[in-house]
Formats: sequence, C-alpha cells, structure tokens
Amino acid sequence: MSPSVQATDWVNKYGDILYNYTLKRVSDKGLAEDLVQDTFLSAWKSRDTYKSEASEKTWLFAICKNKIIDHYRKKSTSNVQYAEVDTSSNFFDEAEHWTREDQPNEWGINYHQPVETKEFYGILDFCKKKLQEMQQSVFVMKYMDDLSAEEICKVLNISSSNYWVLIHRAKLQLRKCLELNWINS
Amino acid sequence: MSLLNISCKKATYLISKKEQGKISLFDRLTLWLHLGICSLCKRFEKQTGFIIKQAKHTHTEEKLSEEAKERISKVLDSSY
Repeated sequence: MSPSVQATDWVNKYGDILYNYTLKRVSDKGLAEDLVQDTFLSAWKSRDTYKSEASEKTWLFAICKNKIIDHYRKKSTSNVQYAEVDTSSNFFDEAEHWTREDQPNEWGINYHQPVETKEFYGILDFCKKKLQEMQQSVFVMKYMDDLSAEEICKVLNISSSNYWVLIHRAKLQLRKCLELNWINS
Repeated sequence: MSLLNISCKKATYLISKKEQGKISLFDRLTLWLHLGICSLCKRFEKQTGFIIKQAKHTHTEEKLSEEAKERISKVLDSSY
C-alpha cells in the first residue's frame, strides 16, 4: 500500500470521530481541525514504532486527548485572568443570597431521567462554549474526561482554591444558560 | 450558631466539593443544615447534578469537512 493511500484511509476512517470528540472540548471549529491535524501528524510520524497492543483507534484517541490537554495548558499560561474577571452576572447579592434574576427556577423535569433530545445537547454545547475559557477547560477535564482535581491544577498551573472557584462559576453559568435557552424557550 | 450559618454563595461552592468528595466534616454539616432550609440551593444541587450527568453524552455528530480531510492527508504525505 502506498503511503498516500494509507494517509487518506486513516483520515477518512478516523477523521470524523476525532473531530467530533475534539469539537466538544474546544470552542471553535478551526481550532478543532488544527488539533485533529496535529494528532494525525504525531501518530503518522511514530506509526512505525507503534506496537499494536491497543487498537489503532484507542491509540489515536490517547494522542488526541494529550493534544487537547496541551492546548488547555498553553491557554492557561497565556491567559492570566481567572474567573473573577467574569462580570456578566454576579448571581448573589451583598448578603450572598441568590439574586432574584439569577436564582434557580423550577425546571419541571425528572432530574433522574436523561434527556435524549438533539435540542438539549445542542443547547448544552452552546452553553459550554459560552463559558469563559478557563471555566470551560476545567469543566471539560473534570466532567467529560474524569481527570482528578490535582491533575487539572497541574495542567493549568492553578491553585486548588482557583480550581474550586472555576468549577463553581462554570456550574452557575451553565445552569443559568440552560434555564434561559432550554427551559424558558 | 452563626458559625454554622452559611450563605447561598458558600453553599453552592461547597456542593461541588461534596460532589467530588473533597469536603471537610464541618463543611459537610454546615451544607447539610443550609440545604435543609434553602430550597433554591437544593434546586441548584439537583439541576447541576443533572447537567453533570448529561455532560458526557455526545449526541451531536459533526463531520470533518472534505477540504480539511484532503488537507490533512496532504500534510501527512509531505511529512513522510
């Protein structure tokens, strides 16, 4: 098989699933394409040393995951501002009680039952992308990729208290965004 | 007594610590007391728990464009 055919085969076989995976974790399409390209390139260069103990797909995903985490790491070092900068909403008043505007309203759904509508996942994706960058990184690593708090702090080079503030803000924002766009629409 | 009283801001912050198993015994007690009397924070806990459970599901299918596929294949070839 000529290398050219092999390259095209690879990209056709794994391009969509890697792209779909990456796009869920970063904020824009161009960036997702770049990360997928980097993934293929790294894999391509080391394909002779790769021993097929794991499946090709598993191997590619492992590389892709690392590329995404590298991206978060770079972002966090180039981006010194944290969640405090986020001024779109305060959520709490001076006594630290919920403001009327931001308090959680009843959603009227069964919280134990997963929703399986395309609409919901579209809105969840939209809301995730609207999070401030650091909040998004922390949320994805914790709740989509199951990294530990310690690992996340290390990757992003943040303190533990910063981590908890970011998690807190991310949840406040996501909840509000879902309520506005999914429940109230 | 006032030591045991926490604000909604603090309570919602502690909810994440509890969910990730990183809460102290004392904080756990103050959170439990707060959630017993605050329906808004209780609701916040339910709703964010729900969001987290949904976060891993990936239902939308996005495809890599044909142009991107071609470009990446070319990049791979030229690095050969």
